[in-house]
Amino acid sequence: MESGCCSCEKGREPTEQELLARLDEVLDDYAGKAGALIPVLQIAQGLFGYLPETALKRIAERLGKSYSEVAGVVGFYSFFTTVPRGRHLIRVCLGTACYVRGGKQVLDTFKSELKIDVGETTPDRLFTLEVARCFGACGLAPAIMIDEDVHHRVKPVKVRELLAPYRADAKAEVA
Amino acid sequence: MDKVRSHFLVCAGGGCVASGALEFAAALRSAIDKQGLAEEIKVVETGCLGPCAAGPVAVVYPDGTFYQKLKAADAAEIVEQHLLKGRPVERLLYKKPAGDEAVPALGKLSFFKDQVKIVLRNCGLIDPTRIEEYLARDGYLALAKALTEMTPEQVIEEVKKSGIRGRGGAGFPTGLKWAFARKAQGPRKYVLCNADEGDPGAFMDRSVLEGDPHSVIEAMAIAAYAVGAAQGFVYVRAEYPLAVKRLGIAIDQARQRGLLGAKILGTDFSFDLEIRMGSGAFVCGEETALMTSIEGNRGEPRPRPPFPAVKGLWGMPSLLNNVETYAAIPMIILKGGDWYASYGTEKSKGTKVFALAGAVNNTGLVEVPIGMSLGEIVYDVGGGIPGGKKFKAAQVGGPSGGCIPREHLNVPMDYETLQELGAIMGSGGLIVMDEDACMVDVARFFLEFVQDESCGKCVPCRIGTKRMLEILERICRGEGVEGDVERLVALGNRIKDTALCGLGQSAPNPVLSTIRHFRHEYDAHIRAKRCVAGVCPELVRAPCQNACPAGVDVPGYVSLTGEKRYAEALRLHRERNPLTAVCARVCFHTCEDKCRRSTLDAPVSIRGVKRYLADQEVTVQLPEVRDNPENAARKIAVIGAGPAGLSCAYFLARLGYRPTVFEAEPKPGGMLVQAIPAYRLPREIVEREVRMIERLGVDIQTGQRLGRDFTLPGLRQQGYEAVFLGVGAPKGARLGIPGEQAEGVAEALTFLKRYNLGGAGRVGGRVVVIGGGNAAIDAARTALRLGADTVTVLYRRTRGEMPAYGEEIEEAEREGVTIRELVAPEEILVRDGKVAGVRSRKMVLGPYDRSGRRRPQPAEEAPFVVEADQVIAAIGQVLEPSEFVDGLGLKLTRQGYVEADPLTGATSIPWLFAGGDAAVGPSSVAEAVGAGERAAVGIDRFLTGEMHAFWRAEAPAAVPFDPNADPAPFPRAPMRMLPVERRKGTFQEVELTFTEGAALQEARRCLRCDYRECK
Amino acid sequence: MGDKIQSVAELKALAAKAREELEIRGAPKATVINVHMGTCGIAAGARDVLACLAAELEAAGVRDVTLRQSGCAGLCSQEPMLTLTDKNGTQFRYGKLDSARVREIVREHVVGGTAVANYLIRL
Repeated sequence: MESGCCSCEKGREPTEQELLARLDEVLDDYAGKAGALIPVLQIAQGLFGYLPETALKRIAERLGKSYSEVAGVVGFYSFFTTVPRGRHLIRVCLGTACYVRGGKQVLDTFKSELKIDVGETTPDRLFTLEVARCFGACGLAPAIMIDEDVHHRVKPVKVRELLAPYRADAKAEVA
Repeated sequence: MDKVRSHFLVCAGGGCVASGALEFAAALRSAIDKQGLAEEIKVVETGCLGPCAAGPVAVVYPDGTFYQKLKAADAAEIVEQHLLKGRPVERLLYKKPAGDEAVPALGKLSFFKDQVKIVLRNCGLIDPTRIEEYLARDGYLALAKALTEMTPEQVIEEVKKSGIRGRGGAGFPTGLKWAFARKAQGPRKYVLCNADEGDPGAFMDRSVLEGDPHSVIEAMAIAAYAVGAAQGFVYVRAEYPLAVKRLGIAIDQARQRGLLGAKILGTDFSFDLEIRMGSGAFVCGEETALMTSIEGNRGEPRPRPPFPAVKGLWGMPSLLNNVETYAAIPMIILKGGDWYASYGTEKSKGTKVFALAGAVNNTGLVEVPIGMSLGEIVYDVGGGIPGGKKFKAAQVGGPSGGCIPREHLNVPMDYETLQELGAIMGSGGLIVMDEDACMVDVARFFLEFVQDESCGKCVPCRIGTKRMLEILERICRGEGVEGDVERLVALGNRIKDTALCGLGQSAPNPVLSTIRHFRHEYDAHIRAKRCVAGVCPELVRAPCQNACPAGVDVPGYVSLTGEKRYAEALRLHRERNPLTAVCARVCFHTCEDKCRRSTLDAPVSIRGVKRYLADQEVTVQLPEVRDNPENAARKIAVIGAGPAGLSCAYFLARLGYRPTVFEAEPKPGGMLVQAIPAYRLPREIVEREVRMIERLGVDIQTGQRLGRDFTLPGLRQQGYEAVFLGVGAPKGARLGIPGEQAEGVAEALTFLKRYNLGGAGRVGGRVVVIGGGNAAIDAARTALRLGADTVTVLYRRTRGEMPAYGEEIEEAEREGVTIRELVAPEEILVRDGKVAGVRSRKMVLGPYDRSGRRRPQPAEEAPFVVEADQVIAAIGQVLEPSEFVDGLGLKLTRQGYVEADPLTGATSIPWLFAGGDAAVGPSSVAEAVGAGERAAVGIDRFLTGEMHAFWRAEAPAAVPFDPNADPAPFPRAPMRMLPVERRKGTFQEVELTFTEGAALQEARRCLRCDYRECK
Repeated sequence: MGDKIQSVAELKALAAKAREELEIRGAPKATVINVHMGTCGIAAGARDVLACLAAELEAAGVRDVTLRQSGCAGLCSQEPMLTLTDKNGTQFRYGKLDSARVREIVREHVVGGTAVANYLIRL
């Protein structure tokens, strides 16, 4: 299944209407099949990148289920998200070495800098913030990971500096 | 040339793909094209080969060459050297973890040698995306056999005969399950495959789906035929996209080939299969929850009965097995149930796949006959623990399982034994933990996981595990209170009895099993606020300090030394340990074992820095003493002037007491002056620190032996209010073999003491030392210095297991001592009343014993004689307390030492305290110093009812630290040694101090783990 | 991708064919032939020898031989060379090979069981 990061595709992002049309095609295939709800939700999340309310309502209607039942299923599984995920994943290590060397303060700085909590995504969908256990970089604690890159000895004052290149890239793209 | 002459199998399992296997395969293909070998060499991407830690890995056939840690940049060299010229590229061959020896071929690796691959038979051998390769390995022949030669009942009978049990967790007999599903009535039936492998640490199902998906499809078709189903579902976790993809390809191929669908192989049997993906809910691995999830609902479990075999998916009879169970089925049908049952134990048949992870050299997937011992799996297949650390426990069975400690390394890994030990086979996750793992933290981790994943439907699981987690969290924070362990046990048992589903019922297991096997760690957290493993952040200031038995502020004095502030550094050291200069020479430095710098290069040479520091002291400085006339008036006796007694007296004196120390020998110092030779610890060093203690107001009376010159009741009559017993374990254990009484046989402690205290000791000819501890090595090196022609040490276990200090063993060998491992004495041969030799036997390693080491057993070879003129026995030390405690009712431990509270030194007699070797058996100087300090605090509290240990207050770091600076780039400095040729015949100190430059550099290597960001 | 398999016999025939392809991944056969492929060997034509050998073995229907290559044997003057290890573990080293010699070695030694004395290198 595709990760559904449609916005990364070259060219124009598909509009919500177009995405809903694609969802309808999927629903044509699945309507009437037993146990269709979860596969449909998975495909929808692939299309939209998350599960917006409009999509959930459409799914409920077409599969003949109540909205609350659909929302209940969405809420049960951690794979489903009703908020968009960010383009970059920031993981702050809170393993022992990192914790005692100020990993917690680093995490707090990311929270206030990005104005989000752990597990959330920034409104511009650029960053998602998560907590991780040991990456094996204890000698150079505290450590964080942004996507695949490990950064050692991160200080709260360095957080903004770390984010800068990602923000600059995003700006350049818009321009 | 049009014949393919070589197959290059690149592992494309999840682990290897993550480390770049696909990039390597692409580079390999292009290099092969460049050399024009495309027609001759076939590159195949296979499923998981097993040793994930070495990934990406590859095997080259026909020679079976095994490559590891491949990078795209290596491809050209391999093609040119190996594929063209036939010379395997040495540097990329798989290396044995223990050394640098390269292992050329797959079959020779111990990792593969002891495995029996049934479930994993095709993983790593075939291309999972080509059905032809599965067919070449007898694929779908089992289905053909079942459909054309067997009735459904015969199929079930064969599965029953095999004895296979569910490999997903509970271990229910598979044949029985199939029989129930066959018997159940319903308009439709389903066969389901549980591939929602959620236990952290287990990934065998993923590997089978990625590496051999057809085996599962074939098995499900067989199962459908046996129970009478026409439709199947495979429920795969969303986290396994590659498995989903490969299974999807395989299903398509099977359909195209008519192996799924209507009228399979021209018979009347029809069966089709669909994939359903999970959505990130651990509880969906539970069978009833899995079915509700396939139905499209919240994956909550439902009560059983009715069991799925009767009322399962959409209310229809359903058969559910996991991936590993299914993968074994084709072989069982093809080769027969009896063949499968020939592996394993009486009650647990066949093989089991374990996912080896954690502190073990060969992490990865291993398939072994059930019943192989844990030790064999960890050490023989797994290659042992990295960095030579000690095995502490294995966590088996994931969040529903438990821990198996060192004492049980020899138990067979079967369903019954694991259950007895409080663990479960579960899905086969096997996480190896070394001494760096905190068992309370491990329990907390698993409970946090379960608490996160609890679906919330039933109260015991939702609320009960939450309460348990809260208790564990406070214990880890150092806020645990007495009774917490009992509360955990009570809660855990209640949840076990009342939770709705398997997840909840087994959730307390990791906690209950760690309490059962590691109760002392819970107690240490709760009572001493100490995390021995150095894991729990709130209890550990710096790992080195935490590891020091005396609690010395290591980063503090090391960084002060680095700033040349020697007086302050010494003072800081003596806050917790008076014997700075002594320990600078003889300490076992457990601090260095935990030094975090080792994750960068090598630990800081802490003892080396301390040695330099101690050598800078010109006049001994006195520590802070709080005078207290009231205390000074009270009489306290300390018996024994060894490190424990000296330390106890030192700390009592700092509280204003004036204790009297009674020492049996003519010189104070205990083992420091009686056993440890002067070439390791010059006597003036000991004398200096003893004098420092005396100057605090401690009165040391020598030549006063307990039981001979005074008695405990006598001390009480003289008005001593409290007594500290620090008499050590001064008696050498007897060999217990014939000839022990002959002239020329000595016991090591006596031998060492005679020379060290008396200065006498004639040694000549051939000396044989029996034993492998520090006393053995000290005796051997002393004998050499006293004129022995040859010195041979006989040790019944392996050299690596010798308890003596590694550096001392190396020095002994350099000086000319011969060490013969795996040799045990059977008799001292006597000629004319004198020693003539030692009749000995070669030993081989047997099964694991309760100390977690392989027990030596006599080899079959005939015994041989090691000729000797003198024999020194150094096989252990004991305490003979009967000499002085008779009639007092003092409680002893099982090993015959004095039972004392490790936190306060209190014994079963209120006024009597004990510590050091007398309480715990032969141990280190630092242990004794720590025990002395705790007993001093205990005695003070006994006398005053209050706590006054002002030195325990944590001082903020005295040396500034720049957390942004890069770590000092110097490598660990080696200690300087006296040249070997200058050691013979003298007792001059062997180890020399650092130069100032080296010492300062070494001190600056410290990463300053004590440093904290401002709160 | 092939057609539907209609019967067990068809399945077994397919399996037999597929098995040939995978034979190379099994244990080494009773007889092993090593072609020495050092730089000198390759310069002297070892690659042609290897190709020729493979083709001859195939043509003769020989199935119980594992064909391997290894590095320089240290006798550059005799290249191209091969070493044949028979099922008893006895080693035979042939030198100065060309396609005619290879053909003869396959016919006489591999199939016939008699070493071709003329081409053996005696040490």
